Amino acid sequence: MSDGPLIVQSDKTLLLEVDHPQSKECRAAIAPFAELERSPEHVHTYRVTPLALWNARAAGHDAEQVVDALVRYSRYPVPHALLVDVADTMDRFGRLTLANNPVHGLVLTTTDRAVLTEVSRSKKVAPMLGARIDDDTIAVHPSERGRLKQALLKVGWPAEDLAGYVDGQAHPIELDQADWHLRDYQQEAVDGFWAGGSGVVVLPCGAGKTLVGAAAMAEAKATTLILVTNTVAGRQWKRELIARTSLTEDEIGEYSGERKEIRPVTIATYQVITTRRKGEYRHLDLFDAQDWGLIVYDEVHLLPAPIFRLTADLQSRRRLGLTATLVREDGREDDVFSLIGPKRYDAPWRDIEAQGYIAPAECIEVRVSLDDEERMTYAVAEPEERYRIAATAHSKLPVIRRVLDRHPEEQKLVIGAYLDQLEELGAALDAPVIQGSTTNREREKLFDAFRAGEIKTLVVSKVANFSIDLPEAAVAVQVSGTFGSRQEEAQRLGRVLRPKADGRQAHFYTVVSRDTLDSEYAAHRQRFLAEQGYAYTIVDAADLAGRGEVNGPDWVDEPSD
Amino acid sequence: MATTPPTPAPATLAAWLRTRSDEQLGALLVLRPDVARPAPSDVVGLATRLAVPVSVDRALDELDAGTLQVLDVVLLATTDGVSRADLAAALPGAPVEAAVELLTDRALLWGDDVLHAPEPVRRAVKHPAGLGRLRTPPPADVEGDLATADDDERAVLETLARENPVGRLPVDNRGTAPAGPARRLLQRGLLTRIDAANVELPRQYGLALRGDQPYGPVRTRPEPPTAQRDPAVLDRRAAGAALEAVGRVGELLTALEEDPAGLLRSGGMSIRDQKRLAKALGVDESVAAFVVEVAHAAGLLDLGGPHRDEWLPSRGYDTWREQPLPERWAQLAAAWLDSVRLIALVGQRDQAGKAVNVLSPDAVRHTVPAVRRVLLEALRGLPAGHGLATDDLLALLRWQSPRRADRFVLVPDLLAEAETLGLVVGGALSSGGRGLLAGGEEGAADAVRGLLPEPVDHVLAQPDLSLIAPGPLVAELARTLATVADVESSGGATVFRVSDGSVRRALDAGWSAAELHDFFARASRTPVPQALDYLVDDVARQHGRLRVGAIESYVRSDDHGLLSQVLSDKRSAPAELRRLAPGVLVSGLPADEVLAVLRTAGYAPAGESSGGAVLTRPPGRPRATARPGTRPPTGPRPLVAEEVEATVREIRAGDSALAARREDAARHVPGVTTASTLELLGRAVREQRQVWLGYVDAQGSGSRRAVQPLTLGGGFLTGYDEGKAEQRVFAVHRITSVDLVDDDARPE
Repeated sequence: MSDGPLIVQSDKTLLLEVDHPQSKECRAAIAPFAELERSPEHVHTYRVTPLALWNARAAGHDAEQVVDALVRYSRYPVPHALLVDVADTMDRFGRLTLANNPVHGLVLTTTDRAVLTEVSRSKKVAPMLGARIDDDTIAVHPSERGRLKQALLKVGWPAEDLAGYVDGQAHPIELDQADWHLRDYQQEAVDGFWAGGSGVVVLPCGAGKTLVGAAAMAEAKATTLILVTNTVAGRQWKRELIARTSLTEDEIGEYSGERKEIRPVTIATYQVITTRRKGEYRHLDLFDAQDWGLIVYDEVHLLPAPIFRLTADLQSRRRLGLTATLVREDGREDDVFSLIGPKRYDAPWRDIEAQGYIAPAECIEVRVSLDDEERMTYAVAEPEERYRIAATAHSKLPVIRRVLDRHPEEQKLVIGAYLDQLEELGAALDAPVIQGSTTNREREKLFDAFRAGEIKTLVVSKVANFSIDLPEAAVAVQVSGTFGSRQEEAQRLGRVLRPKADGRQAHFYTVVSRDTLDSEYAAHRQRFLAEQGYAYTIVDAADLAGRGEVNGPDWVDEPSD
Repeated sequence: MATTPPTPAPATLAAWLRTRSDEQLGALLVLRPDVARPAPSDVVGLATRLAVPVSVDRALDELDAGTLQVLDVVLLATTDGVSRADLAAALPGAPVEAAVELLTDRALLWGDDVLHAPEPVRRAVKHPAGLGRLRTPPPADVEGDLATADDDERAVLETLARENPVGRLPVDNRGTAPAGPARRLLQRGLLTRIDAANVELPRQYGLALRGDQPYGPVRTRPEPPTAQRDPAVLDRRAAGAALEAVGRVGELLTALEEDPAGLLRSGGMSIRDQKRLAKALGVDESVAAFVVEVAHAAGLLDLGGPHRDEWLPSRGYDTWREQPLPERWAQLAAAWLDSVRLIALVGQRDQAGKAVNVLSPDAVRHTVPAVRRVLLEALRGLPAGHGLATDDLLALLRWQSPRRADRFVLVPDLLAEAETLGLVVGGALSSGGRGLLAGGEEGAADAVRGLLPEPVDHVLAQPDLSLIAPGPLVAELARTLATVADVESSGGATVFRVSDGSVRRALDAGWSAAELHDFFARASRTPVPQALDYLVDDVARQHGRLRVGAIESYVRSDDHGLLSQVLSDKRSAPAELRRLAPGVLVSGLPADEVLAVLRTAGYAPAGESSGGAVLTRPPGRPRATARPGTRPPTGPRPLVAEEVEATVREIRAGDSALAARREDAARHVPGVTTASTLELLGRAVREQRQVWLGYVDAQGSGSRRAVQPLTLGGGFLTGYDEGKAEQRVFAVHRITSVDLVDDDARPE
């Protein structure tokens, strides 16, 4: 009986025992074909999905390597059927290839006639195919390239896209590495992407995805369209690009609700692109406005469905997806795979954190007991009101204050979902509030002041969830949220995960009302964080030690319960 | 080898049998066990029994293509009897001697130097060597007739001359018969008609077409290429499958314990239940069906419940799950091997278009165990680590028993099942499979010992509230974890998740929060995460605020003083009353008893209608009432050595007595039913006389019983069995002897 670190489950999940001496090499061996699903303290869970196997195949791994890794590191015998299934699945990728034929243009070719026949008879695929050129080749109209790939993936025969890309209009872009250097993993990510042509780079929040984008642009040296989630994130990109590359302010345009600039490098928001008037997308021209050489999708996991449809038409342009996770709450991972491209690089959070690029974070759940009046209100409330009542309980206020008092020197964010509560907190804590109606100008001003350390505490609504860079926020206090979404959790955690100048520890507090829906949702978040490998501690508000007291932050890192 | 000195060659099968040694006769009985039951009284009886068409067919079915080809040569010979030398010459290069041994051992050929085929064997082989019947009258000019055939006709002729002389006339979709080569041949007499649709190529033409190979190519054993793999690797993969199979059966039964599946009116389990179980197991429906069927075959799953209409884990399951992994697996594998159910039929539509359900009685096929064994035995013939592709295996099996080739359509399905169980990996037999064939269930368990992981006695508790059992768990821990946590993923390891629901379930089952803390601390090798302790405490704090109990009856009154009086009254003590709330007393005794006690004590209570009063008892774990260890019926039991010896002795004795004693044949009717048996039985029915019946049941067990015959007809005797005290139906052909009771006060 071998004694490997890996246990293969019948549902194709892999359990990796982290403390095992071989766990590191095993992790390296399985990472190409298995998605990390959970990474709690002792045993990490990976999942082998068809997409993951095809990603591996696209990256040049073959079935033999996969089977060998499974058999070599597995502690227990691996069922033969599972290995056969893995090999069969991998074998499906690459039977079909999209290529450029010098005579016929874009063609679908195969190494296996039966497969070509099968897909050409499929109702979903057939309408996108053109004339049959010979037994192994079928012409494809270039406009169907994306949709065909989508359809082929759906019928289980993903095509490898080797049809190449247009160069786009050349534009000189250089990285300006005078006072900084691309980190090793960022360089690897760019190399992986460039070698593969198009695809997705998976890096945790705070690991410098923007720089990977910039480096890819420097590689392409062509006009670039960057799609981001919102205006603030767009400005953030612009700032980074000006600082880190040879690009100047004039070369970078903003295409948002406020401004419609088209420049060699244009940053557009998802929202403006998906704006419709009378049922028609108003800004589709943007994609044809320039001969783009590269399209960068920031936060691919949030890419709205209409943009997928548009992206299907852009298959001849290089596409780079940047994201912290391939998991989409809407389950459209397969569209990301077929339309943007396979995963080209992936580094687990914990590893990058261990390299010191992300601040280690400590997660603390503070439990507050409601007073009798609040309990009564909660008990008689309508079901849809219950969460709001629990989350916005006034009993939380003194506790929040106490938490903030523990970190007088740090930059602190208080994050909530209910505007009344935020206003109240702002007033009580004497801190400015940023919410949906705050103007971009006002936001920029407050963020600048926060970055400069003039403001110590900011109260923010969920508008701050995405892509604003608050590098010095070392403490986040979450007071209410949207029903424990995984996505939200990752984003909020990302707020405090940005590298700290002095490597200080980040703190992520959640204040919840005991024995209510609030603590139920907190349990979901807790599970998510624990699965991400973060230490999670539950503290009773009464036991929360203040600064300098026994168990306070100056004495030990973790308050005990 | 004959025991008698060389004398003139025996002239009949019976005479030849008489010359055989006891060992040879014994071997014959073993090879053709159907003739040994009931025991023939003498050699003539044996010869008669050997001539029964069913018996001949059964014996022929077991022969391989090479041996049958040797038989074909004898059958096609124009002379009566063929010498060994001529046989060898007819099939150059074929192992003729060995084939002749096989045939004579089975009495399918008889004779020492010159070999004869018994008439029933001739009748049983319809197309010897794949040639049609002789045409009568014989064609005058065979070569000349054949020369008239054009290319199309020639192609038809050559096809029919190859293996199967019978062909079907083409019919177009309007049902009319288009003129074609076959019809032209038919008109010219080159083909003969069998019936409206089928034609046959007469033997004369077939032989001419075959030229110098009248018996077709020599049918030697195919030697397909084998794929070789390291037996150790192979065994590990098999063990993986074995582990998975055992795990799935366990999961299935746990799922059924929680929520039993209903019995369909037509028998079996509904598709809805099958889908539900597939979902619970995380497998597709066909796999779920297989797991259910295997669990049932192994006696772990049976009908139970108050109305015997639910599929439930049986008591056998309780024993099974306590056993070590190898034993658990072996029980499944052995049960599968002997099961008469063709699992692949589940989900298929039968001829009426009705889908066959899991566990449905429609899936029984009595030939299946034999096919399973044959296919595994074929693989066992290969060296360890060598495997065959399915097509090659099929070719080999078709050669081994060509007359049963139609059964082998099952092979791919059965092979897949064997792979699922870990008996076969990639067409090669695993050690477990070898063990099973060689040593049955015990052999199988021994063969996989050391391949399957040792059980672990701990889990790893993680901050995300999952508990990971890094291997199969010891039974006790597995049971406890099933209560306090939910299974999230299984396989080599098991991932459990503790949730508020699972903690509540544990508290309901009588655990206290302290016990749970203690259990987690003991079971986990990693420190118990704080979140887990909080979860237990959180749920425990809420648990038990509402109380539910069961009572049998209550006493209520608006007069609280009266109730207090009743409660403190010594005379009403037998009613076992206690106060539940002001104005309500309750008792664990039924209402009528409480009423009686109170009346005796001098009160005037009135019964109250039961509206609203709930009588419940905490439910026990439901179990099927099937006999522990019993399995669904499997085939007839094999002959044991003593039986064979005794039978041979009997035949010899009967034989020597045959010449001397010829009287009173009816008193001991030999197995073949005679007119006198029927006459005797008929008389017993008419005169209402009791008889002693010697009877052999379907399993081959003989018995002797006193029966009062009631009716006789259609080959069956209905009678009242005195011993069993019930009315029974006896098949007349299984009656071995009849004695009138009055003739003979006691059986011999």
